[in-house]
Amino acid sequence: MAKTGNKRYVMLLDSRKCIDCKACVVACKAENDVPLGVFRNWINAERSGAFPRLRASFDPEQCHHCENPSCVRVCPTGASFQRADGIVLVTEADCIGCKYCMIACPYGARFFNEETRVVDKCTFCAHRVDRGETPACVETCPSRVRTFGDLADPKSPLHALLESRRYRILRPQTGNGPQLYYLL
Amino acid sequence: MDRRLFMQMVGAGGLAASSIACPKFFGRAKAAPELPAPLGVPTTCELCPNKCSVLAVVRKGRIHKLNPNPENPKSRGMLCARGNAAIQQVYDPDRLKQPLIRAGARGEGKWKPVSWDEAFDFAAGKLAATKEKYGPQGTLWSSTEGFQEVFFKNLGMSFGSPNILRHPSLCLASVNLAYSMTFGTVPSFDLLNSKYVIMAGANRFESIITPDTMDLIGGVMERKAKFVYLDPRFTVTASKADEWYPIKPGTDMAFILAMIHVIIAEDRCDKTFLDQWTLGFDQLAAHVVPYTPEWAAAETGIPAKEILRIAREFADAGHRAVFYAGRRSSWYQNDFQMRRAQAILNTLVGNWDREGGMVPNRKIEKGEFMFLPWDDPAAPRVDEVGKNFPLTSAKDGVYLPLRENVLKGEPYPVKAWMIYKQDPMNAVPDQGKTLKMIEGMDFVGVVDIAMSDTAWYADVVFPESHYLERTDPIEVMPGIWPAAVLRQQVVKPIHDTKPMLEIAQGLAKRLGLSDFFDYTIDQWVAAEAKDLPVENGLEHMKKHGVVGFSEPKYGTTRNAVFRFVTKSGKIEIFSERLAEAGHDPLPVYASPAQPPQGKFRMILGRKATMTHAALANLPWLHEHNPENDLWINADEAARMGIRTGDLVQVTSTAGTVKIKARATEEIRSDCVFMLHGFGKKSKWLRSVYNVGAADSILLETAWDKVSGNAAMHETFVHVVKV
Repeated sequence: MAKTGNKRYVMLLDSRKCIDCKACVVACKAENDVPLGVFRNWINAERSGAFPRLRASFDPEQCHHCENPSCVRVCPTGASFQRADGIVLVTEADCIGCKYCMIACPYGARFFNEETRVVDKCTFCAHRVDRGETPACVETCPSRVRTFGDLADPKSPLHALLESRRYRILRPQTGNGPQLYYLL
Repeated sequence: MDRRLFMQMVGAGGLAASSIACPKFFGRAKAAPELPAPLGVPTTCELCPNKCSVLAVVRKGRIHKLNPNPENPKSRGMLCARGNAAIQQVYDPDRLKQPLIRAGARGEGKWKPVSWDEAFDFAAGKLAATKEKYGPQGTLWSSTEGFQEVFFKNLGMSFGSPNILRHPSLCLASVNLAYSMTFGTVPSFDLLNSKYVIMAGANRFESIITPDTMDLIGGVMERKAKFVYLDPRFTVTASKADEWYPIKPGTDMAFILAMIHVIIAEDRCDKTFLDQWTLGFDQLAAHVVPYTPEWAAAETGIPAKEILRIAREFADAGHRAVFYAGRRSSWYQNDFQMRRAQAILNTLVGNWDREGGMVPNRKIEKGEFMFLPWDDPAAPRVDEVGKNFPLTSAKDGVYLPLRENVLKGEPYPVKAWMIYKQDPMNAVPDQGKTLKMIEGMDFVGVVDIAMSDTAWYADVVFPESHYLERTDPIEVMPGIWPAAVLRQQVVKPIHDTKPMLEIAQGLAKRLGLSDFFDYTIDQWVAAEAKDLPVENGLEHMKKHGVVGFSEPKYGTTRNAVFRFVTKSGKIEIFSERLAEAGHDPLPVYASPAQPPQGKFRMILGRKATMTHAALANLPWLHEHNPENDLWINADEAARMGIRTGDLVQVTSTAGTVKIKARATEEIRSDCVFMLHGFGKKSKWLRSVYNVGAADSILLETAWDKVSGNAAMHETFVHVVKV
């Protein structure tokens, strides 16, 4: 991937806007032929309180495409790897299905695909990104929760969002350097 | 010509398959192949009535992905879960694949696959026999909204039947009539630019309406406009609101009248606007004197000081404040008058035709295909809509009063029922009565893409081609951001199915009505494309799928010569026409009956992964909603010894069902809720056959007095642990 050397793909999620409509989840299923019962992306719903003081929040999640991905470190065959642009992928042909990476992932983002017999996960729709498009989940989202882009590009709208809004990353203590940024 | 446009043209030309590689993953050592942009055939989604524009990506003749088409200003460049799942309808192994004639008892599920000729001969024979015996009025033609609905309707009308029954009286007839009686038209709400939005029950974040749902997120969540939401249930919409009030069901009108009371009493109206454009303010001022916030607090359960404050804030936001109308307005028997109260409240702050307010819809010009007209039917309608509901749309009919008449055989017998794209067994309250109506028919014919419960009880089932397999007429969607869309064929039908036009033609040929259907879909579309506001309309629509206006126009009706299409030419706060028809000329509140001890009011609602009672069977959607359950307030459940997952029996005067309970904090204690679309009787909907329960079994027959719209929140149920 010669052209991706100077890029760093990340995703910003404005969860306040998430309406738990599942458009991203179904779009991913279609785009990536994900089997039933397993998911490359999902929405964490949290509900709390007692009537009538109630709260609900929805946080979409998927592979965090970490800066220092623990899944890549534990892979015995090199099937799990990180592209120069930060996208973490699995080379199907090299995966032996040992599932070490599934255990190593702090986010539960990986699953074993019974149809392909290899470990599967979100690819940030690398095949679409390489054509200059956005991932399917980003494109389809009715409430525009997601902003995808190249953090290494100073002109990216990501910077304005990250500078003007507070944000958090999930489980920073793992040292993985996750690249899904949740705007607050 | 830009690259994308060129690629779309190539896509539409059918070269899709060869140009797409399938790079699932990239190996480190392998060089990536140079990839073209995805080819998408522009077409229009049919999974709900929003008509979003999509780009269909086809690989090796199979639809791989539906992407949103950003060119549609109404769909705002998105595609929801249902839209994405449409592919599964096409490749559903349980789909209707060829015409079927019933071979066993009704509902037994024994079918004989037949040729189209056999199916047409059989159905035409039955329709002709009914006409012979009872006249053309002995046939009923019911359908729901769809681009090819026109052909179905035209078949019924050219056959001579007055009984064309469309969906509004199960949906939004009351809201449409209320706003029409007030403004002479039904406006849209500019949620993108509003500063203050009040919604009552219109659960916009789970019941997606374009562009309102996205604009509410964009406008309210991003620009921090204030959003007040009333709903007995804590919905996703409630969770996003600045303020949520679990209002007592059926009392919305009291809340609105008290707001009107405050705004008038404190002189917060837009006086200039009222003087110039409206009629009946003085009568309104006198009318609302007793409707104080304290009075409304007792009715609604919302504290008087909050109603007072909300009324003040609403008026302060002036023309950028909206009380949102809602869509499915089939709630209570006073629904029309409640919507009238909304319309009047909006009028008081002068938000008419202003940015951030209530804006009359803009249309898009299109051509019309001229077909041979037929004579008006000789018989009156069986639902007697003209006599009993003179203000409502006679051409759409009133569903529940019609069913009552048909069951009684009054004023004349109706013995054949043709149904297009609709599932009355689940869409209409009181399934027992609907089934009785089916059983009373000499003939029932259904056109659909899947074996609905209604099809399951039919005599003949005509399989329609899926929307991705056919070309439909051009549809105009009026609005603040209006659009005209084309649905065009993406793949050839994979089974022995036909579009509705060809089904109508097959029947018309055998009924001697061919002259009325002497055209092709291409001729029809070409005629429609002629007057579109774009050069080479037809070519444009084939390449882009849509033409729309992305810049809103405000204030076009706010000029000295404009006359509202009302009797007085003004906005009618006080309506003489209502008085003449024997209805309240200003909305009068009557306290709703409360469920007696031990009973609950049943309320309905939506979820973003389903459309009405449909789609629960699609695997990609079903895995998010495997089964419906009965929401019951946690305290009530505890009192009754019911825990989440327990099976409960729910009973109304219409019927009884068994369903799992969900003890939850997210609903008031006086009502229960269940999603619909489950408990199906059709075994060909295998994921939802006999799974959960159908709400239509429980819902009793009641309708709004003015519009005839079904009143679906008027049922009290008894709940016991099984």
